[in-house]
Amino acid sequence: MSEAELILGLVVATALVFDFTNGFHDTANVVATSISTRAMAPRIAVGYAAALNFAGAFISLEVAATIAEDVVDPLAITTTVIFAGLIGAITWNLITWYFGLPSSSSHALIGGVVGSTFVAAGADAVFGDGILGKVLIPALIAPVLAFVVGGVAIVICYWVVGRQRPGPVSRGFRFGQVASGGLLALAHGTNDAQKTMGVIALALIASGHLGTGEDPPLWVIVSAASAIALGTYSGGWRIIRTMGTRIIKMDPAQGFSAQGAGAAVILASSHFGFPLSTTQVIAGGVMGAGAGKRFSAVRWGVAGNIVTAWVLTLPAAATIGGVTYLVTDLFPGALGPVLVSAVGLALVAFAFARRIRQPVPGT
Amino acid sequence: MLATIVDTSALWQTIVAAFVAGVGTTLVFSLAILGVARFAEANRQGRSVHSAVFAALALLGLLATAAAIVFGVIVMTTK
Repeated sequence: MSEAELILGLVVATALVFDFTNGFHDTANVVATSISTRAMAPRIAVGYAAALNFAGAFISLEVAATIAEDVVDPLAITTTVIFAGLIGAITWNLITWYFGLPSSSSHALIGGVVGSTFVAAGADAVFGDGILGKVLIPALIAPVLAFVVGGVAIVICYWVVGRQRPGPVSRGFRFGQVASGGLLALAHGTNDAQKTMGVIALALIASGHLGTGEDPPLWVIVSAASAIALGTYSGGWRIIRTMGTRIIKMDPAQGFSAQGAGAAVILASSHFGFPLSTTQVIAGGVMGAGAGKRFSAVRWGVAGNIVTAWVLTLPAAATIGGVTYLVTDLFPGALGPVLVSAVGLALVAFAFARRIRQPVPGT
Repeated sequence: MLATIVDTSALWQTIVAAFVAGVGTTLVFSLAILGVARFAEANRQGRSVHSAVFAALALLGLLATAAAIVFGVIVMTTK
């Protein structure tokens, strides 16, 4: 095996680890509301979300390589740049998971790649307009839009069913959450598994194993779908708890409104080609559904911590990605990526060993 | 300046479509739940006209919600 093939293998493995953390981290987006309103038992909810995430990855095969192409110069992208960017994204995903904060995996990936490209090829290789248009402006609009939609939806919902007996109404909305949660899981699988497929395809193109514009091979699609589904099934319970119970104490109507708002915003943006973060959308929908009932029902301190994590995601992942590139560049050939992977695996094992003993909520 | 960086047309379409779909789906599903709840009540009281009206409301609400979900899946598959 040549050094280039070894680096490519490490990039593919790292991309799949990122995909796993993406599923693991974003499980909360899909299942937190269903679990907290008892629409579904926790393990059934994550199993259902994992199956639909897997199916969603096969729905559309439009490669999302543009996630990086719009923000950095494609000519500056090498397998080592991608590797360092992925390490930045994985590290930030694990840090936010450790603290139970729902942050955007997409922004972490973009931040990581921007940081490593900046260090590898200089400021000219980073497209400021692309970052503003594809990341920063959508990051401002997405949660506000979901907040407004979720808030208006819950007000209308209470207006329609507010005078009915709570038992049948709660049962009805719990039933509705199974469908709205399923739609969210499918949308998540379609959007997020595409990113990993895009990153692996980008690495295959950069290493000359795939032609520009060619569809990714079947093994890329199957492995990306499997990694995100496995991550989702593993369940990031700390973030599920934050999203499901720490922002607001949710009733089934609020859960349905939040999921409905989230699905509507994600699908509308997907249809019109406007990139949004699923995490920010769902969190915005949850806050809106809480504030629509009573403004003080939202724990604004927790919401503030979440927004802080959103603000920090891009610069933090970029810094980690840039530093990772510097470190890998110190060593000749594949030695840098091999050493970084070994250290990364040890840190991940340490973090999991400290936190994995957390009991599953509701069990 | 903003228009050169962001596709403002796509942005406005996204905002309007998300608002209509999100609020609309919750509204029709709420009407379906209202229909089911009032149908059961009217049925217990033997008010056949009321129960028929609320059954129709429940059915229409459920059909509209199902249509919204199918439309969502179509949007995903055709992007």
